[in-house]
Amino acid sequence: MVPVDRDAPTRCPSPLRIARVRFVLELLATLVIALALGLASAWYMVDAPRIGIGVGAWKAVPAISSETADPYTRARIARTGEIALGAGEGVVFIAEEDDQGGALDGACEYAVSGETPTARLWTLTAIDGEGRLAAAITGRVSLTSREILRDLDGRFTVAVSATARPGNWLPTNREGRFRLVMRLYDTPLALSPGNGMVMPRIERGDCR
Amino acid sequence: MIRTLVWLIGAVLLAGIVHIVAVIGVPRFAVVDPWREIGAIAADEVFTRLPRALPGGRSLPGLDPAMTHSACRFSLDRGPMRIRAETADAYWSLSLYDRRGLWVWGVDNRAEEQKPIDILVATDVQVAQLRETLPDELEDVVIVDWPGLEGFAIYKILVPARSQEAEIERVLATAKCGVASFR
Repeated sequence: MVPVDRDAPTRCPSPLRIARVRFVLELLATLVIALALGLASAWYMVDAPRIGIGVGAWKAVPAISSETADPYTRARIARTGEIALGAGEGVVFIAEEDDQGGALDGACEYAVSGETPTARLWTLTAIDGEGRLAAAITGRVSLTSREILRDLDGRFTVAVSATARPGNWLPTNREGRFRLVMRLYDTPLALSPGNGMVMPRIERGDCR
Repeated sequence: MIRTLVWLIGAVLLAGIVHIVAVIGVPRFAVVDPWREIGAIAADEVFTRLPRALPGGRSLPGLDPAMTHSACRFSLDRGPMRIRAETADAYWSLSLYDRRGLWVWGVDNRAEEQKPIDILVATDVQVAQLRETLPDELEDVVIVDWPGLEGFAIYKILVPARSQEAEIERVLATAKCGVASFR
């Protein structure tokens, strides 16, 4: 005679047991989603300045001061070690795209032209995706308002390209994306939307 | 259907809490904040020329490559810090940042004209003590009320042309910071 195992699980689990397993699975899924969503959104907000006023392709990084810095700015500075311009010092504009909305690419040539808001001094720099200076063939990595050539009416055009250009030329990296950083020092500019701020246009030329 | 929705709402609320905790926690656990970065390059309480930002080279992020920079990391636990420097004809600015790398106070050539920089950084208590018996030599000194104990100063000067580099290096080298001593 074959012994009967009375404790052997039944083929058909009880409804109560199904409900319990389902609850645990749902709880786990919820926790995983919450963790992923929370961390991903935190990463997105801290990774680069997301709150700012846009002018054309440019985005202004809000002035940073210990009294007014928001938690995202605090976290970003602690993570990157970045030394930002202070509130009284000036305003930084960053462009990641051209005026048509295409990402700035080292394989292409760009024309940055027009005028800037009033400032005692501005500097224009190209940085790569990681925030390092774009590798330029020459030693020069920035252009300032002091050394730039202008039209008679004060407007200027800067060629942003990996290869040398006549006139105002800002060298950039040959490959991969880059960003343009324009720092305006000592500017009376008040960063509020719709106050008629003018920033240079960024237009794409030929690509390799 | 409703059950799934309830779980989803729960997930979003929980995600919000995770988001807030993560963002607030970052500065506490940061390992590359500006304070530590400067400490890795320079000695404390002395102005040190920061390496010029070069493509691919190691420098502090966020510095304008058109400028030359000098940094001094300080702590006020042994007394107020006095910061002095000559100024250049070109654009210059002296900025003070707190322990977390946030800007607190600054001065540039718009405000100071061509007078040399002379400031005293002190905590609330030290300011109160100074006000009691203000040494004569401090009468023309700008006193900066400092939140906390630690911070760093960045002195930067624009290099308008290669030919002026030597003169600007000389001015940058006049920057001094140290515990203030009177008489």
